[in-house]
Formats: sequence, structure tokens, C-alpha cells
Amino acid sequence: MKPLHGVRVVDLSMGWAGPLAARHLVDMGAEVIKVESCERFDWWRGWEATEEWIALNAAEQSAAFNTVNRNKLDVTLDLTSADGSALLKRLVAIADVVVENYSSGVLPKLGLDYAALKEVNPQLVMLSMPAFGGSGPWSRYRAYGSTVEHASGLPHLSGEPDGPPTMVHVAYGDAVGGLNGAAALLTALRHRRRTGEGQYLDLSQSEGLFPLGIHGILHRSVTDHAPIRTGNRSDTCAPHGVYPASGDDQWVVIQVLTEEQWRALVETIVELRSFGGIADRLARRDELDRELSAWTRARPAREIMTQLQSVGVPAAAVHSMADLIDDPQLAARRFWQMLERAYVGTQPNPVAPYRVGEAPIPIDAPAPTLGQHNRRVLTELLGLTDPDLARLTQAGVIGDRPMMPRPE
Amino acid sequence: MTAALAGIRVLDVGGTIATGYCGKLFADHGAEVVDVEPPHGAATRALAPFNDRASAPDNSALHAYLSANKRSVSLDVRSPEGRGLFLALARNADVVLDASVGGDPLSLADLGAVAPRVVFSRVTWFGQNGPYAGFTGTDSVCHALIGMVRSIGPEEGPPLLPSGYQAQIVGGLTAYIGTLGHVIAAELGNRTAACQLDTSIYEANMCFTEVGAVGAFNTGVVAPRMGVNRFPPTFPLGIYPCRDGWIGVTALTPSQWASFCALLDLPDLAAVPAYQTTLGRLADAAVLEPIFKRKVAEQSAADLFHRGQSMRIPLALVPTMEQLFDVDQYVARGAFGTISHPLQGNMTAPLTPFKLYRTPALPGGVAPKFGADTRASLAAVGVDETAFERLCRANVVAEG
Repeated sequence: MKPLHGVRVVDLSMGWAGPLAARHLVDMGAEVIKVESCERFDWWRGWEATEEWIALNAAEQSAAFNTVNRNKLDVTLDLTSADGSALLKRLVAIADVVVENYSSGVLPKLGLDYAALKEVNPQLVMLSMPAFGGSGPWSRYRAYGSTVEHASGLPHLSGEPDGPPTMVHVAYGDAVGGLNGAAALLTALRHRRRTGEGQYLDLSQSEGLFPLGIHGILHRSVTDHAPIRTGNRSDTCAPHGVYPASGDDQWVVIQVLTEEQWRALVETIVELRSFGGIADRLARRDELDRELSAWTRARPAREIMTQLQSVGVPAAAVHSMADLIDDPQLAARRFWQMLERAYVGTQPNPVAPYRVGEAPIPIDAPAPTLGQHNRRVLTELLGLTDPDLARLTQAGVIGDRPMMPRPE
Repeated sequence: MTAALAGIRVLDVGGTIATGYCGKLFADHGAEVVDVEPPHGAATRALAPFNDRASAPDNSALHAYLSANKRSVSLDVRSPEGRGLFLALARNADVVLDASVGGDPLSLADLGAVAPRVVFSRVTWFGQNGPYAGFTGTDSVCHALIGMVRSIGPEEGPPLLPSGYQAQIVGGLTAYIGTLGHVIAAELGNRTAACQLDTSIYEANMCFTEVGAVGAFNTGVVAPRMGVNRFPPTFPLGIYPCRDGWIGVTALTPSQWASFCALLDLPDLAAVPAYQTTLGRLADAAVLEPIFKRKVAEQSAADLFHRGQSMRIPLALVPTMEQLFDVDQYVARGAFGTISHPLQGNMTAPLTPFKLYRTPALPGGVAPKFGADTRASLAAVGVDETAFERLCRANVVAEG
């Protein structure tokens, strides 16, 4: 039996952060019911909808959406309608958890905020994840993962000393927000299981990045100064950086952190033997990097990685995202599970990053299509009948095809 | 008021940032967490930043942050006698955190015999098997392998490495999710036997790039490296100097673009049809960026931020580490608290970044001196004074 068997989650969240939080719960066996509507579908299916885009059913072809929503059930409910709102409350009444990451103000306007939902389910655990948290002067400000990363100050810690504060080039704040969201939900679920008490959880996604910048924050705490950016170099170790490998735009990371690793490196690359202890290497860093680059430039990145790692030197091929599907480690760990998905075909799905024993936690189903489980959820869980469904479809409360959003 | 994780017992023999951060989340929510350190101290005691007010093994501010609200017991689990004592401490434990690959020195069978519902949670760079399992991991090695480094930095290269311990913190946070999920499983009756949980820090960090990997699988297209702070699909996006600080800009939707142009008084740009999509703007970034960068440079960061947000544009102040503790939003939320250490004194550190309104996390805490709890913890499992002195002399245990 999966660990969270019997836990039911209503997932109102969209984009990356909220759906990733709910994905951890669904991977561990919770039943996650994702709620969208035909007009207000998850914007990660696409945020520049046109008539043509709708006609091509591109909403079902988003790698982003399909990767974070596997295993979930999907219902459409127009929450601006009385019927849709009432049905959502009936779902919440039989759920343990609600996850939402709407802009603040949206759920109160719909009469579906925590205060309202707690009325129908006093034991409810509900997570909101506004970018800057639910309180404070910025609580109504809007943000994406990039905005959250900006506001955390984290970019000041990476990049060249004379360059700008440097971001990572993925929406970092979103994914970290998703992990913090899952952690918060499980913490509250444990309290609920023991005491029967639900509660409201408020996650600030920008605060969620502070632990990732802990080296800079604590440096500031104990010295009163900000650390100085060092680019790819280290103040205490050499060689340390990203070196060219053979081929076009191929690179390898090499970091010699101890003298033992240095001795192993010199045994492998005899050209480096004129360099001495760490003081000498730090003093002659430019020369050392040139010599090392001459050696790396003649070899493929994965080969360098394997050779240096075999003697205990930290090294890694700088992968492109296209290298990940056939990465030998991920392949050996069966990290990618291939599943058939309607409108797309065979899709690789990344398994959960934790497992019991050697086999990954199995993925039972690919991401749902819009409204795929309307019948199952509304009839089996809420006891609606076929005539009810027909009436709701007719009224536009439920459906299974996206529609052009009305202008805001 | 009771803490959310009251009654859960955790022992950490891993001594890494990942197991330390995982254990920290347990401790901050009220679990009893014991760092079981070798006689020379956990590996994290040798990691920067250091506090000059103290000396080794008690001078790492990083270790103090990770170990707040925990106990410190120094015990050599690799010696036969130390291993026996560890198993006595682990009696009925809910979680044992570990950072090793392979069967040594602890095994699920031995732990399960003393703690029948234990999650033997092993958090390693690459997991327990596979061709990289024996590799030496670092944060940069991990960031390179997940495909994140390649897209950061100047077009001609080399790509730029993110700094610090970010991959390990993500690994620890992920291990907390998996581990707590499996603790709850036992409490729900969904699991009846002890289990070994295998968390790979590499796989945990794949959450950042998995979507890109699936996209590359579907389309064969990988986004090129375009320069610092420039990446598809969004433009404008980046961190720009104002006259008094830095502003972070993101404009994704057509309405955000229109508002951004209005904010900077650039109506001509707002009207260009090709600029109505993010990719259309990205294609012309070299023309567009200097135009709005000039405008941004004339303004105050705070003023631009608040005016922009009032127009629903996702702008952000980008505080330096020197400004961070005084940002009004973070002050209002109590985002930072105080951790104190008997030798290092007080330091400001971030609190748990999620708020549970009924069962809040501890607001900071006290970090133990190395080995501070060794004597009391071993006395509780029947080690008398004479035996304790002998174990100290044999280097099986230490008091710091």
C-alpha cells in the first residue's frame, strides 16, 4: 500500500509550485483531484491562448503541465457559477487537504477562501502559497518564480564579481515553493492525524529560497558584510571551475577540494605536476586553469567525468537538458517512466526522488486531460446522476475542452 | 499548544548538509532530533561560514544553523561497541538519517530489530545504486548533471556555477518530504514494517530541469545559453541597476508588457505587434533591453517596485545580503529569527519558510556544543560513569 493511501487532496493550484507540491502527495498515494475550468484552465497548459491554439488542442500538449500533474484526477468546475461553487464545497467536505496558489483576493471573491471552506470541513488542512506570504505589506503583490528569486536576494550570491546578480535560468522559486508546500502539508497532516485538528498554512515562496542562500545569509550574520561573488572560482580551492571539453559548447566541472584529490588529479594529468600545494595553486590560478583546459579540451566531457571520478576527484559533465533522458545513472535507476498520454504519445515521466528498496515508486497514470474525471468524481464521490451531468454540461459548468478566456 | 511533530524521534548519523537540513525541519516542528557525530565531529562542522568567536569543532555558523533545537551525541558507530550503543539509542526511533552508500555500518535488519517502524532514511548524492553511486558529489557536480548550469552565463561560455549549498538543501528538503510521508504511513497503518528510504540528491534536484528534459524529448529543441539572466520564454526578464539598488523585472503576459511600457513611459514599444508575445520580444532583446534599461537606471528601486506592483507587473526589489534583514515584508512576517550557540553567541538566520498557524515552527533556537548530550544520553541507556570514562579513553564516545 502506498504511504498516503486514504488521504484526499483538492488541488486548486496552477502553474508549477502548487501542482508540484500536490505531486509529491499523489506520488505517495494520496488521491489528488485537480480542479480547473474550461475557461480558467491551468495556465501552465499555455498562457497565450488564441482561437487557433484552442482548435489544435494545444492545451493538452504542454510538457510543463503533463510533467507535474501525473497520477492526478481532473475535474472542471466553473467556480464563478453557483453550481460550480457548491460542487467544490461538497468536494472539500469529503477531502483532507486543499492546495491553492491563486493570486490573493481570487478565492475570497468567489466565497471559497479558508474561512468559507472551514465551515464545510472544520478539520481541513489548507495551503495557500502567495509569492510573498499571506501577510505583510507585499502580500497582494504578484510574482512568478523569477520574481520570487529576485526578492529572496539569492542572485547576489552567484555570478562574476564584476557582473550583475545572477539568476539560475529556471523558475527556481516555483519548484522550491512546491517542495516547501509539500513539506508544510505533510507536517500539518501529521498534526491532524494525531489530534483531528486542521489548520491554515501560509507559505511565502520568496522566504522559501532563504535556506538555499544560507551560506550568504550566515556570512552576513557573523561578519556584518555581504560575501563577494567569486564566479566559478573558490577562495580556498584550486583548480575549481568549468572547463572546456571536446566538441561544440561542451564543458566539464572540476573541483579539487582536498590535497588528496589534488594528488589523484596530478597522477592522472601529469602535465600539472609543476604546480605545488594549495598556496602555489591559488597564486598561479590562471596558469593552472590554462594547463587543465588544454587537457580537458581534447576529451569528451562524460569521459573526463568518469576518469576523474574513478580516482576520487569531483567532476561532472555539464549536461544539456537533452542529455538527461539517456544519462546512465538515471537510466540505471529507471528514473524516466515511459507512459502513453492522449494527444501527445509516449512521454517520459520523472519518478519521485525517493524510493523504498531498489524500484522507484510506480507512476499509475499520465497527466489527466481537461475534465477527464468529471464523471468518475462527480458520480462516484458526490453521487450525481447522468441527467445532472448533462444539465451541468449544458450550463457550461463542466466540460472537457478549453475555451477562450473572457477578457479580465 | 502542541508541536506538529511532537513525539517523533529522529537520529542523524549522516552529518551532511542534506541530512542536517532534513533533521532541522523535524526539530523545528517539535520532533526530538539527535545528531550522532563521530569523535571528530560531523562533516558540517568543517563547513563555512565560520564564526571567529569560537574555534573548531564549534566554529561553523552553518553547523549551528543546522543543529539548532537538536542534541549532540558523539559516538563512533563504526566501532563494534559504538554500534551497539547506537542501536540502544535507536530503540523505537521513528527515523534514522544516514548519508552512506552500501551496507556499512548500519543495516535495515539491525535497525528494524530495535525500532520496528523505523524509516531508515538514506540521503546520498546519487542513491544506493547505479554507475554514479560511488562518485564524489558536490553542489556544482549536481547542478552540472541536471542540466541547469549549461544555460547560465555568457553565450560564449564558460557556463556559471550557482554558489553555496543549494543542491544539498534541496536534497534535505526533499528527504524530509519522503521521510515524513513514510512516518505518517506507519501512523495511518499503511506501513507495518521498518523500511529503507533511498533519496538521491541528484534526482531531487531534477525537479528544476525535468520539464526542460521532457520538452527536449518531445521537440528535440534545447534552449541555447543566451547570456546572464536571459532565458526563454520570458522577456523582459532580469535584474537591472536602478539609481539606488537593483530591480528584478518579469513581464510575461500581453497585459504585463503593456503595463511595463506604461510604467516606463514607452508607449511606442507597447504598440508594436511583434512585441505582443514573449518570444517576439525575446527575439528583439538586443534592441529592447537598452531602451528600458536606460529608463530603469534613472529611477529609485523601491519606487519603481511599488508603482509597478500597483499596476500588476511582477517586479521585485533584489535586496543585497546587507539589506535583507531590514526588508519591510520580511520584518513584518518575522522571516528571520535568532539562533544561539554557547560559544558562538547569537546569529540571525531564516526561520522555517512555511507558517502553520495552529502549530508554528520554533522561532530560532539553541544549537548544542559538540558532544554536549553524550553523557546524559548514554546514561539513559544504562552506561554508568565508569563505563563512560572507559569509552571516552577508547575514543568510542566524546564529550567535546
